[in-house]
Amino acid sequence: MGPSKLDLLQGTLDVMVLQTLETMGSLHGYGIARRIEQVSGNQVLLNQGTIYASLVRLQQRGWISAEWGMSENHRKAKFYSITKGGRKQLAEDAAYWLRLSGVMGRVLAMQEGGGKR
Amino acid sequence: MTSFRKSVHVFVARVLNFCRERQLDSDSTRELESHLQLHIDDNLRAGMSPKEARREALLKLGGFEQARQYCRDQRAFPFFEPFLQDLRFTFRSLRKSPGFTTVAILTLALGIGANTAIFTLINQVLLRKLAVRDPQQLVAFGDSIFGGIAGGIDLGGFGGYFPWDFAWQLEENPGPFQGIGAYGSFSSKVTVGQATAASSAEPSLLATASLVSGNYFAVLGAQALLGRTILPSDDATPGSGAVAVVSYHFWRQSLSSDPAIVGKSITINGVPFDVVGVMHEAFYGFKQELEPTDLWTPISMQPAVLQQPTMLVPHSGLYFLHIFGRLSPQAATSKSAFAESQNWLNQQVRLGIRANEGGSITPEREREIEHVSVPLVPAAHGVSLIRSQYGDSLKILMAVVGVVLLIACANLANSLLARGATRQREIATRLALGSSRARVVRQSLTETLLLSAVGSVLGLGLAFAATRALIAFVSQGKADITMSPAPNLAVMLFTLSVAFVTALLFGVAPAVIFARIGHRGSLNSSARTAQGGGGRSSRFWPKTLVTAQVMLSMLLLIGAGLLLRTLRNLQDQDYGFERTHLLLANFDESLARYQPHQAPALHQLLLERLSAIPGVRSVALSATPPISDGAWSSNISPAGYTPAPKENMVSILNRVSGKYFETAGISILAGRPITAADTASSLKVAVVSESIAKRYYPLGQAIGRNLTIGIDSVRGPWQIVGIARDTKSGNPRNTDPVRMTYIPLAQIDLFVPDQPGTPTSTANARPIAREENHDCYAGTILLRTTGDPAKTVADLRAAVAAIDPNLPLLDVKTIQDQVSNLIANDELISALMTLFSLLALLLAAIGLYGVMSYNVVQRTTEIGVRIALGAQLRTVLWMILRESLILLVIGVGLGLPLAVAATRGIRNQLFGLSAIDPVTFVSAIAVVSAIILLSTWLPARRATRVDPVVALRYE
Repeated sequence: MGPSKLDLLQGTLDVMVLQTLETMGSLHGYGIARRIEQVSGNQVLLNQGTIYASLVRLQQRGWISAEWGMSENHRKAKFYSITKGGRKQLAEDAAYWLRLSGVMGRVLAMQEGGGKR
Repeated sequence: MTSFRKSVHVFVARVLNFCRERQLDSDSTRELESHLQLHIDDNLRAGMSPKEARREALLKLGGFEQARQYCRDQRAFPFFEPFLQDLRFTFRSLRKSPGFTTVAILTLALGIGANTAIFTLINQVLLRKLAVRDPQQLVAFGDSIFGGIAGGIDLGGFGGYFPWDFAWQLEENPGPFQGIGAYGSFSSKVTVGQATAASSAEPSLLATASLVSGNYFAVLGAQALLGRTILPSDDATPGSGAVAVVSYHFWRQSLSSDPAIVGKSITINGVPFDVVGVMHEAFYGFKQELEPTDLWTPISMQPAVLQQPTMLVPHSGLYFLHIFGRLSPQAATSKSAFAESQNWLNQQVRLGIRANEGGSITPEREREIEHVSVPLVPAAHGVSLIRSQYGDSLKILMAVVGVVLLIACANLANSLLARGATRQREIATRLALGSSRARVVRQSLTETLLLSAVGSVLGLGLAFAATRALIAFVSQGKADITMSPAPNLAVMLFTLSVAFVTALLFGVAPAVIFARIGHRGSLNSSARTAQGGGGRSSRFWPKTLVTAQVMLSMLLLIGAGLLLRTLRNLQDQDYGFERTHLLLANFDESLARYQPHQAPALHQLLLERLSAIPGVRSVALSATPPISDGAWSSNISPAGYTPAPKENMVSILNRVSGKYFETAGISILAGRPITAADTASSLKVAVVSESIAKRYYPLGQAIGRNLTIGIDSVRGPWQIVGIARDTKSGNPRNTDPVRMTYIPLAQIDLFVPDQPGTPTSTANARPIAREENHDCYAGTILLRTTGDPAKTVADLRAAVAAIDPNLPLLDVKTIQDQVSNLIANDELISALMTLFSLLALLLAAIGLYGVMSYNVVQRTTEIGVRIALGAQLRTVLWMILRESLILLVIGVGLGLPLAVAATRGIRNQLFGLSAIDPVTFVSAIAVVSAIILLSTWLPARRATRVDPVVALRYE
């Protein structure tokens, strides 16, 4: 059970990171983490360290690129931006998640409706 | 597809990461530090205290080290990590015992190197297929290994030799075959010159030329690299078609890789030929001889290439071609279709024989003809002299080196067991600390794999050197470019798998035994006694391995003994001529453009000048040396003897100058030898061997009788004036006396005598267009010297060059070299076999010594107690010795039947002794016993010196 749960989490986190970079442009790891927390209305209890695992993973697949630069308050930070391949992947993944959430919604609704005995 | 590409991408990225892990690790550390800093900045801005800000940031990150580890895991191969740990651990532990490591690696390098070397040769000699299209469809017609020109034989009755007209007929009508081609059964030396440099000052070079049919290349399915191959139109008319295809190596070395060579002209034996093509590098022709073919020319040019009268007439009676065919695809795969092809060929051969013999064939002869068959021999590998000579030896050697490697494995397994026993506590600790048993086994296998990997790398190097030496030996000093010591892919794969299997063989047993140690839980301090006292079962494996080693090394010793004695028998037999102080040189007058009628003057000059060389006792010329692998032979008819029907009347012939018998050291038993006084103008005389005299004139009346020879050019009659001792003139393994007829070189007619009724002389009434007699040529110079014949070589060359600088001395060697070339195969295999069996014996001795020493160390306490309780030293000594005596007896007992079975396999290689030669068996057992006892004696003596006080103090 454990690993499949982790896979799902991994998958979602990667999409979240890609989407964040797609909308926000170039961003450092901390910025990405904060952005995701804000967007989710602090509903996700994010272990920020896992963001970095996700970043390494996405970089290995060639979906994001990285570069050292200066943050707005003059701190050195590594900035990530989405690549062309990453945009393509994001489009695919977004479609998949939307379809999945739609299906899940319908399935759960059906269970509620037909659940009377 | 994309998901595959993605995983490749990820894999490559991870491998790259793996290589610069350190750099990436520091990069991610800096990144995480910057993350914390940014977070702390925010928190401070939100009004937290610096301490609180830092705590909150770290908490959110989920710990700094944890985050670093996430990245690390993501970057590399997590499953790799334990393996790397194993490897690091192995390196450390091997470095700690450099003695064991060195011995193990050297043992493996020797074992794997020997296997690789022999396999490199096997791969090239036995396994390599011809570099042509569908080689598995090729078949040779009969035995095509040897070559020559034969006369007066049946088609198919004499190996695989065929006359020109029969081959031509099959080429035109290949029946069920896709094609049938022919080639000269031997390649010959020719002089090649540049046609443009017409001046004779340009030194011409010697090359090897092969005659091939017009469809030879087409049937083989071989394409030219440049230009074209020889075509049927080239070979259509005897005497025309002066074209040549050259080999890649000849093109590179002698034609300086001239890219525009095609269309240029060269001369072969003075006759201009057009070069029409260059073959690929990997093409050596269908038949590979010791010296690779440089040029291929159409059979139609035979008179120019062989410098002999034409053989390209119907019913010439001369058999000089080999034939091969390409089976139909069905016949190559189905047995019945193959049988059909075979039947068709037999029909053709029988028709050919009937046509040859003309009208009246007796019913008896007809029945014989009905049984004539020429077998189709699969020839995907082509035909190779080296393969036929050395193939069996290589197979034997492969088995031998395999056995050596097995013995090496047993040794290493034993060493590892011993090491494992001393490492028991370490392993027990690891198991107790939660290491899995699989991990312990894996650790041990990592160790053996690492050892065998290093060993095989060294082994490859050793093999390269060894193979080079072996190839030099096999090709008898001729620059053989068809074999190379460089390992190819197949050899690499072989070595890799040998290394892997070796590692498993010597690694698995100890590994499993280590892992089992955990059951006993020997974490207590008495690990030593547990092993020493109750360890009877723990000594089972080492003992079994030593017994196997005894068995195998005895097997090898017996094999080596048999082969060594074979070689001794071959060398020590009576050859009938003197085998010391004799120098032989091959020369070829026809290549230096001497016409046969000019030969006698040259011979006279040679004899005079060479006898003036200091240290030369006598000089003679002859067609062939006293012993050689080629022979000039014919039927003879001794006057007054009526042969039985079908009686074999063949005698080997030699034409010799005066002093031949004196020079060669062949004694004359009766009458007189051939002398310088036997000249063209005196009575034609002959000397025959004892075997001829006894066979045809059993009452001793041979001298004074006449004898005629079945070859027109030297028909005779010759009057027998002397009887010479029997000599071995060919294969040293042949024990039957060889029939020899010697005739004086000076008495051979300069022109082929007219034979009444032969078509050649009746057709043309041209006056004195007589054919010169090529049998006037000598071919061998013999020098009997007072000192070391090898020291006369330079003088000989100088003297010949002084007579005619263009007269090529092809080969100069002593009679010992000549004999040893004929038994080269036996020399090679017995030398290597002895080497390998001594190596095996050494390994077995080291193994036993190791096991016994270890036993003594393990039993120190026990021995101490025994001595303290009053045991006699002799009893202790006997106790230790008895143990290995039992091993010895079991090993020999199991090894003997194995040896009897195995030596049957090398029966064909033996000479002058049986496969169960008692002398060899007894000596091998004695040697093995002596070595085993010696390697036990040393530790046993040490055991008797155990001081009981010291031994017991440990308890």
